[in-house]
Amino acid sequence: MFLRTITTKTLRDGRRGLLWWALGLIGLTVVTVAPYPAIREMPGLEDLLEGMPDALLALIGETDLLSPAGYLNSQLFGSIVPILFMVYSVAAGAGAIAGEEDNRTLDLLLANPVGRTRVVVEKTLAMVIGLALLGAILWVAIYLPSVAVDMDLDPAHLAAANLSAVLFGFFMGGLALMIGAATGSRGLSIGLGVAVGVAAFLVNSLAPLVEALEPLQRLSPFYYYYESDPLRNGLDPLHAAVLAVGGLLFVVVAVIGFRRRDVGV
Amino acid sequence: MTSATADAPAIRTEGLTKSYGRKRGIIDVDLEVRRGEIFGYLGPNGAGKSTTIRLLLDLIRPTHGTASVFGHPAHGSAVKLRREIGYLPGEMALYPRMTGRELFRYFAALRGMRDLTHAEELAERLDTELDRPIKALSHGNKQKVGLVQALMHRPSLVILDEPTTGLDPLVQQEFYRILDEVRADGRTVFLSSHVLAEVERVADRVGIVREGRIAVVSEVEALKRQARRKLEFHFDEPVPVEDFVRLPGVVEAVPDGRVLQLTVEGSVDDIIKLASRYTVLNVLSREQDLEEVFLTYYAVPESEADAPADAHGGGGA
Repeated sequence: MFLRTITTKTLRDGRRGLLWWALGLIGLTVVTVAPYPAIREMPGLEDLLEGMPDALLALIGETDLLSPAGYLNSQLFGSIVPILFMVYSVAAGAGAIAGEEDNRTLDLLLANPVGRTRVVVEKTLAMVIGLALLGAILWVAIYLPSVAVDMDLDPAHLAAANLSAVLFGFFMGGLALMIGAATGSRGLSIGLGVAVGVAAFLVNSLAPLVEALEPLQRLSPFYYYYESDPLRNGLDPLHAAVLAVGGLLFVVVAVIGFRRRDVGV
Repeated sequence: MTSATADAPAIRTEGLTKSYGRKRGIIDVDLEVRRGEIFGYLGPNGAGKSTTIRLLLDLIRPTHGTASVFGHPAHGSAVKLRREIGYLPGEMALYPRMTGRELFRYFAALRGMRDLTHAEELAERLDTELDRPIKALSHGNKQKVGLVQALMHRPSLVILDEPTTGLDPLVQQEFYRILDEVRADGRTVFLSSHVLAEVERVADRVGIVREGRIAVVSEVEALKRQARRKLEFHFDEPVPVEDFVRLPGVVEAVPDGRVLQLTVEGSVDDIIKLASRYTVLNVLSREQDLEEVFLTYYAVPESEADAPADAHGGGGA
């Protein structure tokens, strides 16, 4: 049944990868959440944090490291989670078109009566479904351990944080897909995708400290992913929309670019 | 296909040109492939065969000129046309982790086709391994999977880029029989090859492409009549060379003791009959190879000088 459409076939190809990603995420969240009670009770930690310079706290992006949301933001949602989602979606986005081209299977796929638009749309769908699965797995992998250690977490806000990560992934994956579809180069697509992701992260976290970067902050997708603090406040519709619409625009450009060009020579 | 285009040729290209910098690509290719024929597209590697084919499939776009399939523009009607086309890419790669059977199911689904009996039948005839991952298959077995996916939906036009690469001779014979059946069915085959003997075996007409240009389009029979063969007779005693030289079609005769080497154009009948008057210990026959065919088409006609260097001059035919 998985061989019926390009989307399901692409997901089928990635099933083993997705399983490892899921196991990795679960491992990461368990070792992060499990020690939370011990850390919260650690004597003197609060005073230590009080004494930290503001600049350092700004870099971490969190001032209340011992609350559940503050702890999870600093340990997961402020760094490793968006990085992992970016890596997953850049790989998926770069693999979508440029990957088939690199593997020289695109000729064969396009010999079937499927238009290039349909190929891009179905590949995008596969990427989004993969990301959504990762988001759902992450939610379970955080929420269940948090209940076990009596961490006071709002499941809806946790879902909002995960959805924000999924949207961030969609934006970055859309960018990689666009570059790959328009140029046919998987290397360029991964390289540029990761470079933009790292720059987005740095700009957003350094902007409060470096005045010159401040106007750039609102150009960073990381800003729209994280700045509204969805784990505390729920999803900011405007910020979420920026990521979603941005990702969609990339996909539209991917379609236009892919339709116009020669395929893998 | 609509009735308005019912009598359009299977393939027509006019001034089809694709430039990639200086060397590669094709220049001003005019081709017409009739419905129901097997057309051999013959040329050395790098001559532009794959470029032409990929233009027909709208995988790449022409720099100049047009290509149409069944009267529909290759670019404007690509998706619709691909329902009618089966394609085996030249430098093909298949999904390495799928099995042949899975690949057929996938492509059948993309074609909205449920019945896989024809695929099974073709796979069986070509002795194709269907249940191992494609990455574990030999080159020949991968090629068979590629052939089956190109043929399984009984396309009106089969486009095959170097189809017999890596196939063993028995399988090749079966594959040729399948192509004969496709033609008997009224369907069209366009196949590229760098092997003259293959094109001679299967094709009705042949287009020879060299350095991106069509050198000649001809009935295979006509090409055969013109093609030169090398014959080498081993007799039990030296024989009079003059008798052989006098025979029609003998272009060159080189005696070497009891061995006689002949270059022959057209029928060998008279030569065989003459040779049979002597005791023939052995006879070797070699088809003219492709390079020599090209030399024939590019050499200055009637020129006595056997100078291959001159053969490259001129360009188009």
